[in-house]
Formats: sequence, structure tokens, C-alpha cells
Amino acid sequence: MSTSNDIIGKCRASIKTRLPRPRLSDIDATEYIEPLEEFIRQAQDAGCRIVQVDNAAETDRIIKETYPDAKRIASALPIVKCANLNPDTIPDPHELNDTDVGVVEGKFGVAENGAIWITQDVVERDVYFISENLVILLQKDQIVSNMHQAYGLVTFNNYGYGLFMAGPSKTADIAQVLVMGAQAARSVTVVLYNHPATPIES
Amino acid sequence: MSTSHSKAAKKFLENQGYADWHDNTFWGLRVKRDKMAFSVPEWEQLRTKASEIKRHTLMNIDIYLQKFADAAEKNGVTVHWAKDATEFNEIVYQILKDNNARKMVKSKSMLTEECGMNEYLEERGMEIVETDLGERILQLAHQRPSHIVVPATHLTHDDVGELFEKELHSKKGDHDPTYLTHVARLSLRDEFLTADAGMTGANFGIAETGDIVVCTNEGNADMSTSIPKLQIAAIGLEKIIPDYECLSVFIRLLARSATGQPSTTYTSHFRKPRPGGKMHIVIVDNGRSKWLADEKHWETLKCMRCGACMNTCPVYRWSGGYSYSFFIPGPLGINLGMLHDEKRYSGNVSACTLCLSCQCVCPVKINLGEQIYEWRQQLDSIGEANPQKKMMCKGMNLVLDNKGMYNAATASAHLLNYLPSFVINNGLNPWAYAHKMMKFPKQPFHKEFKGKDESDK
Repeated sequence: MSTSNDIIGKCRASIKTRLPRPRLSDIDATEYIEPLEEFIRQAQDAGCRIVQVDNAAETDRIIKETYPDAKRIASALPIVKCANLNPDTIPDPHELNDTDVGVVEGKFGVAENGAIWITQDVVERDVYFISENLVILLQKDQIVSNMHQAYGLVTFNNYGYGLFMAGPSKTADIAQVLVMGAQAARSVTVVLYNHPATPIES
Repeated sequence: MSTSHSKAAKKFLENQGYADWHDNTFWGLRVKRDKMAFSVPEWEQLRTKASEIKRHTLMNIDIYLQKFADAAEKNGVTVHWAKDATEFNEIVYQILKDNNARKMVKSKSMLTEECGMNEYLEERGMEIVETDLGERILQLAHQRPSHIVVPATHLTHDDVGELFEKELHSKKGDHDPTYLTHVARLSLRDEFLTADAGMTGANFGIAETGDIVVCTNEGNADMSTSIPKLQIAAIGLEKIIPDYECLSVFIRLLARSATGQPSTTYTSHFRKPRPGGKMHIVIVDNGRSKWLADEKHWETLKCMRCGACMNTCPVYRWSGGYSYSFFIPGPLGINLGMLHDEKRYSGNVSACTLCLSCQCVCPVKINLGEQIYEWRQQLDSIGEANPQKKMMCKGMNLVLDNKGMYNAATASAHLLNYLPSFVINNGLNPWAYAHKMMKFPKQPFHKEFKGKDESDK
């Protein structure tokens, strides 16, 4: 088998002139005066349902209203009281099959394409994909205009996995007809909140 | 003077209704791309930067490859190096064997197509399941991709419907794309749950962090790698880029150029193995390190596989992906084929009108059409020039080099007009195919011009 030295060496021998790295700080990237408005427009175009609430603690009510027939609800977020599966404590990722609703947290949104950055924060990350429907919680003031700003904010934890997600799984592979729900979530509801959940007296 | 491409294209065009549909479908993607490009004011600046980043990275790829491999290994990933397709296939097989894996789900990867990986592994008893819907359709139909982004778009929904009736037991006669997609979803869900390994290609490898970045709309790359504990990523060495600052430029261009979306649904960053799992990256050369030294053609390596050059190409739209003898069609495929094996794939260089539309839409500004022109100039030196054309050129040389012969020829050309049509418009005259023979003027241009000059005085 080849080694890194073999292949890197062959590349080095082929390089004639070392071209300099271009400056990227001078890109005139579009910035929106109202990034939230553009985010909502783009996320809807990507197939998301948008729900705006004042307090993230209202999430339980939103889930019940949006997915009244849901039986298996997976989340590791303490504010999701209706969850009956925890992707952090299940023994195996297969257990999440047939999840009706997965509820996860987004770190920030991107106005230009409606994508939301999610850092893996549970043991089994298939909850982001295997759930029939996905609910993403996102704080309203966490929206940037474009991908240049977005990649300045991306962070990872020890799980070493993260993604930008823009709406439900989709495909147009059959006759170029757009269909939602190819392999992963068939619907995505984004809950935009002003305030993080304050503890509610039970 | 037919080439392998023109012969295949002629067959494709026998069904004019289908050819019309094919043209409209891919032109539709071009229109969507335009809408996106026009909505981003800094679009042209992004293209310029993307090209410059790729030029810089490729001309320092030795440094970035080392950086990438070091970062990935620090993340707990095992990095392998394959000099060619055979080594690549052997490495993947060995990883699967070492982990007692027998069934692998995979997302779309043009690199595994290039290496013939599926066939290699299947011959050795492995079960490989394609999970991108388009690729899955092709796998069930035993066909190859006809396009790099929308690989099964040459099939109509009836074609897919009939295939699924046979292979996935869908309802007879129900060929609705939504229904068929859900049939495939249910069947693939079982495959994800029972696989031992998951494989992805890579849209980008990030040298600074060691991330493999994969862009999909279906989420199949993520499904493939979130359930089995063993993950393998295959990446061509030209896909490495320096860092996130560079990545942001490409991500803004990729989906807009490919399908006219502002971004793909999923832009996934794989950095570390899952808890209790393993992650392997196989970096593949397969000719790339040699092409870097080719002064005329190295910029083909800038490609990020968006497919925009195919969608805009009039020859692709009117001849289809299977008319090209290389597995990647269109302007990109013509060039890549020639880099891989110039004798074997020279039959594709005729598939270009030199309209250069491809390089006007290419998000990383590869001079695809100009390179095809260059390849044509090289045909004689590799012994692939068309003998009929060569003879014609020799004849032309003789006539154009000799004043007397030239004058005699142009003065008498109009006599051809009086020949009966069947003598001229027949199979021996390649010009007469799909054209009507032109009428030669009574007197040659020189004479007419001179006459006009005199009468003006």
C-alpha cells in the first residue's frame, strides 16, 4: 500500500509554481438589515414550518398542536417534558427508529439560505435524521446574514460532528419532481423564541 | 467522420420527443442556477475567489494534504493513502474485513464509481447498498449514472414506476413520484438499520480541522453514518481546501450552481468517530498527482462536481449522459476522460461546439471549453486524428498554398451547383448530413470585391 510520503511526494514533484492564497476579507458579502425576516423566508422556501413564541418553554404546547398524533417523542432537552425517548441514554441508535418527533437545539441560523447550525450534543446523532418529524429550537437573535459569518461562529464539542440543516429531507431524483421526506425527516418545524426557557412551576 | 460520441448521439436523437424532454429538464436546472446567481450581487466575485483558492490550494497541495492527514489523525481517524483504483478498493475491502462487516450502505460518490468499488466488493461477497435515491434507482436497474448530480434523471417516472413494481413491489400502475419516493424510503430504512458499515464520499476535506464535509439533500450520508459504528470516507486528493474561511466561499456557490438551491438541505461535518465507533478516511490519487504537472490541463482539478457545465451544455442536453464513453459526461467528463486515458476517451472531444457556455457558468472558472480545443489539437500526436479529416486538410493545404490552383478552384466551384442533388447530398459527403449543400456563387469573392471596387471609382 502507498504511504503518505509516496503520494505527497508525487504531488510535490508536480508543482511548478507556488501560487499565493487570495485575500478573502474583501468579499462584499450581502448583509441583511433584517436577517430574521430573510431567514424565515429562506427557511420556509426550504420547506420549514416556522412558529414564533416568546418563551422556549412553550415548546411542549407547540409539539402537541403541530403533531397531535405523535407517540414517540425523542429529546434530551430538559424543557421537552413530553419526550419519552432520550437519545443520550438509549443503549443503541436503532432504538430511535419509528420516532415520530425529535426535538433538538439549533445554535444559530443563516439568513441567506435558511440553514441552522446544529452541533451534536447527544450520544446518538441519528435523532437528527431518523425522526419522522424534527423540531428545532432557535433563539431569534441568533441569526447571521451569510455563510462567511456563519463559519466564523461554528464550534464543535468532543463528539466531533455538526451540520447546517435547511429544512426537511428532500429529493427530485424521480423526474425532477420535488418530494419532501427522502431518507431523513419528512417535516421540520423551527420554533423561534425570544427568551430561553425559564423554569416553570409544576 | 463520426466519433464514438456522435454515433451514440445519433441514436439518442432517434426519439425526438424524449430528446426534447431531456433538453428541457436540464435547461430547467440551468435557469434555476441563473436565478440564484442573479440574486447574489457578489456572485462573480465569489467565482473569482473560488478559482483563486483552488489554484492556490492545488499548487500547495503537498502541504495541505499533510496538514489534513495530521488533523484527522489527531481527531482519532485512521487515514489511508491509495495511489490508484486497485489500492483504493483493496483498502476498503480490508477495512470491512477487519471489522467483520458484510453489508455497507453508502451515499453518492463519483470516486467510488471511478474506482469501480461496488463491483470489486460485490465480487468478494460484500453487499453494497446505494442510498441516494437516484443512485439506488440505477443500482436496481443495473445502470450507470448519466449525470453527476442528478444521476437518474434520464429515466422518466414511468421507467422508475415499472422498476419499483418489479424490485420493491410497489402498487401496480402507481407511478406518482411522491409515492415512489416513499416506497424507496421505507425500503432504504431497512437497509440503514441492518448495515454494518456506512460510507460517504466527500465534497470537501478541511486541512486545518480534518473535517470531511458532505452535502446532500436527502440526508442519506448522515443516515448511512449514524447507525452503523464503522464509517469510511473516500476523498480524491484534489478535494482538500485550507480552512472554513475558504469553505464558506464554496458552500455559497455549490448548491446554487448545481440545483439552483441556496444551500443543500444537509451540509455535514464529520470530524471524529462516533462514541464507540471507528472512522477511516481513504485519500485517493489515481492520476491526480500527475495531472498537477500538466500545464494545459491541471485546472480541471479545481472542479467541485456541481454539474453546472453539463446542464448548460447544448451537446449534453441533446445527446444525454450515455453518449459519452467516459463515466462522467459533459464538458467536465470530456476533460477528465482525456486526463485518465487520452487514447481510450478521445471519441468524446468532438462533443463540443466551443460555445464556451460551460466556462461561463463554472463556479470555479475552469476553462473547460478551451481545454477541449487544446485536446483536439493534440489528437494527431496521440494517433487519434480522423484520417478523412487529415486527408481533407492535406488537400486544402495543397490548394491554399498554390495561387493558380486556388483561383481555378474558386472560379469553377459554381459548376458544382449544376450537378444533380443525389451526387452531392449523399452519404459520401459528410457536409450533406443534416445540412443542405450550400450554393456556390457565380464568381469568387475576390473577383466580386474587385468589381465592386472598380464600380465605386
